[in-house]
Amino acid sequence: MITISGFRAEEMRSEMRQKRLHGKGLYRVVLFLLVLSVVTGIITVCGRKDRSVQAADGEDRTTFTLGFDAEFPPYGYKDDDGEYVGFDLDLAAEVCKRNGWEFVKQPVDWDSKDMELNSGAIDCIWNGFTINGREKEYTWSTAYIDNSQVVIVGAGSDIKKLSDLSGKVVVVQADSSALAAFTGEDASEENKKLCGEFEDLQQVSDYNSAFMNLEAGSVDAICMDIGVANYQIKKRGDAFRMLEERVSSEQYGIGFKLGNTELRDKVQESLNEMLADGTFEEIAKKWELTDCICLGQEGTDAAYLQDAGSKKDEPFVKKFADIVGRLSGGMLASLMIFVFTLLFSMPLGLLVCMVRMSKSAVLRWIAKIYISIMRGTPLMLQLLVVFFGPYYVFGMSVSARFRFYAVIIGFSLNYAAYFAEIYRSGIEGIAVGQYEAASVLGYTRVQTFWKIIFPQMVKRVIPPVTNEVITLVKDTSLAFALAYTEMFTMAKQVAAAEASIMPLFIAGLFYYIFNFVVAMVMEAIEKKMQYYR
Amino acid sequence: MKLLEIEHLKKSFGGIEVLSDLSMSVSEGEVVAVLGPSGSGKSTMLRCASLLETMDAGALRFAGSTVAEDVDGRSVYVGKKEQRELKSIFGLVFQNFNLFPHYTVLKNIIDAPVHVQKRDKEEVVQEARALLKKVGLEDKEDAYPCQLSGGQQQRVAIARALAMRPRMLFFDEPTSALDPEITAGILRILRQLAEEKMTMIIVTHEIDFARKVADRVVFMDGGVVVEQGRPEDVIDHPQNERTKMFLQKMEV
Ligand SMILES: Nc1ncnc2c1ncn2[C@@H]1O[C@H](COP(=O)(O)OP(=O)(O)OP(=O)(O)O)[C@@H](O)[C@H]1O
Ligand SMILES: [Mg+2]
Repeated sequence: MITISGFRAEEMRSEMRQKRLHGKGLYRVVLFLLVLSVVTGIITVCGRKDRSVQAADGEDRTTFTLGFDAEFPPYGYKDDDGEYVGFDLDLAAEVCKRNGWEFVKQPVDWDSKDMELNSGAIDCIWNGFTINGREKEYTWSTAYIDNSQVVIVGAGSDIKKLSDLSGKVVVVQADSSALAAFTGEDASEENKKLCGEFEDLQQVSDYNSAFMNLEAGSVDAICMDIGVANYQIKKRGDAFRMLEERVSSEQYGIGFKLGNTELRDKVQESLNEMLADGTFEEIAKKWELTDCICLGQEGTDAAYLQDAGSKKDEPFVKKFADIVGRLSGGMLASLMIFVFTLLFSMPLGLLVCMVRMSKSAVLRWIAKIYISIMRGTPLMLQLLVVFFGPYYVFGMSVSARFRFYAVIIGFSLNYAAYFAEIYRSGIEGIAVGQYEAASVLGYTRVQTFWKIIFPQMVKRVIPPVTNEVITLVKDTSLAFALAYTEMFTMAKQVAAAEASIMPLFIAGLFYYIFNFVVAMVMEAIEKKMQYYR
Repeated sequence: MKLLEIEHLKKSFGGIEVLSDLSMSVSEGEVVAVLGPSGSGKSTMLRCASLLETMDAGALRFAGSTVAEDVDGRSVYVGKKEQRELKSIFGLVFQNFNLFPHYTVLKNIIDAPVHVQKRDKEEVVQEARALLKKVGLEDKEDAYPCQLSGGQQQRVAIARALAMRPRMLFFDEPTSALDPEITAGILRILRQLAEEKMTMIIVTHEIDFARKVADRVVFMDGGVVVEQGRPEDVIDHPQNERTKMFLQKMEV
């Protein structure tokens, strides 16, 4: 048996070697293996998901890991001293004390919370976590906070009631209750209609950037939880105000992995004790949330009582196609960033390269500093500067449409710096004899550059440019920093909404195929340039 | 008529004087062979004459027109545009050819006449084909330089220089990057050009060739012209000690 399989492997290897000799054969083999492994991965992960429900909570628990979004005050956030604090964290600390557990605070990326929970990396999501609309996705505690969705506008805004929001740009946190209140399956008819009248409903990853956007004028209103809104307004002073009218009412609970009733019951028991002996009230007072408390009141246990059944299965192919369809907008967005960035950064890079190599020392230094800044700071930061710079530096209000332009400008400026250096090394590698021959033949400087140097430079820089272009494909995902929903952001949103990892696999597949095509195109160009050495 | 006049040329690199006080002139129709040991400044002299290097001091004239004048011990050049016009009087063939690798043989030859001299393309192509025939490469016009041997590339380089219709040609060791049997072919072309009364300055180590083809031999050493005259005088009866030593070494 061993001999046979050994012989087989040898045969395959020699076959592959032959294919390599025949050009692109090896490429195809590798692609096939990769696609196969990705698809297998998706099937395995999707198949396993529903079986993972029984994850037991043993008697020997010593730690309690709480997952929270570290930017959600007053429920859980980082304070001025860099400590994670908040109402929910105080509650959890007390629960842990009573059960003798070690308390671990684990900040999570909100879009990945389900993966964190399902993988066991965190024990619960406890962070102003809205039950409404998610009843069947988690095993819930009873509701302990009643929270409503409200709208915040600038103090000077002419928006007075909800209906004034029509024709305006509204921003919400990605996968937040505010978003669900407008677009979720259980959203009320009025809210759906109102949402349809918005000029745009945008999503940001945290409230800080929501407020920056509101200040900068690129959005007109923020919709968020009332507790958070009260806190933010208090913190940020009177530049903002809250509309009287509510968008929706909802309740917070603690979400456990579906089926983990054992842990849930222990936590619930402690909470009930805390309510009975007044500790709960005390903590709520500390965080000025007494008005919102609803623990132990009537009508708070609907989600708690429901049976932890599993969700129905959808056929794999249908789900796959469905998610691909939902991600297609993101694919297009990523593609646009890619195309426009190349279109602008490649010529701009040439310009920077020429300035960098110019005769004037001043110009040379300007280009040098530009390149060093662009290569020495994170692209994400540069994107933020491009987008918010006009407002914070010049006081110009930025429009919502500027978001896309800012992404393209930021990417182009950054990539131009890299291309400039690649071009320069390409030019410097050209033998000085080429310049001398051109000089003797009477070519002008301009002719020498465009006829002799540039074409040879292009050939030389293809391999490093290919690297850059492939990096760009993956870098397009950084546009999320400006809340521009490209492929990866969208995949994360869909993954969060579906509580499935499949969108991320599809995103990976998309980037891989994208890059595969890019590599093939670049290879073809390189081959085309092979006519001379 | 003097096509090239160099007077009291001085040139240093980083404080080290390479040419100390060099004067020489070349008349129309004359073939001058420049000999001298390595490092004696032959290439530097030719590069100054081709405007690839600027002279520190001294004057330079092409066919009586001033390219650079000596003013108080420093060379003062005419404007860039005038320089470019004056350049068309000479052609230079490099030791390592310096063909444009991304152009075909034909394009290498016709590009400058068409785009620099603005001559009619049809006419230039006809002339280029004739030149290719002359250097024995009539079947290679569509080849790229990398597809040619060194000797073939040097022939293309000669054709490229000739296509500019220069009145004189400079050669800097045109055969020293080539195998001996290929060298002969190149030298035959130079000899033919000499017979056609092309004015040429040839820096070379081929003593035999210099003797047979050159009208005058210039021997350089230490940045100056040490001895010059008819080949049979300088090569067979050198007067200067340094010339004698150099020729002795070359004989082995
Ligand atoms: N660009 C330069 N920078 C510094 N030194 C140089 C430069 N060009 C030439 N030299 C020096 O000038 C001297 C003369 O060089 P040149 O090339 O003119 O000699 P040559 O007579 O042509 O020698 P060869 O027979 O080896 O070609 C040498 O010592 C050389 O090192
Ligand atoms: Mg030399």
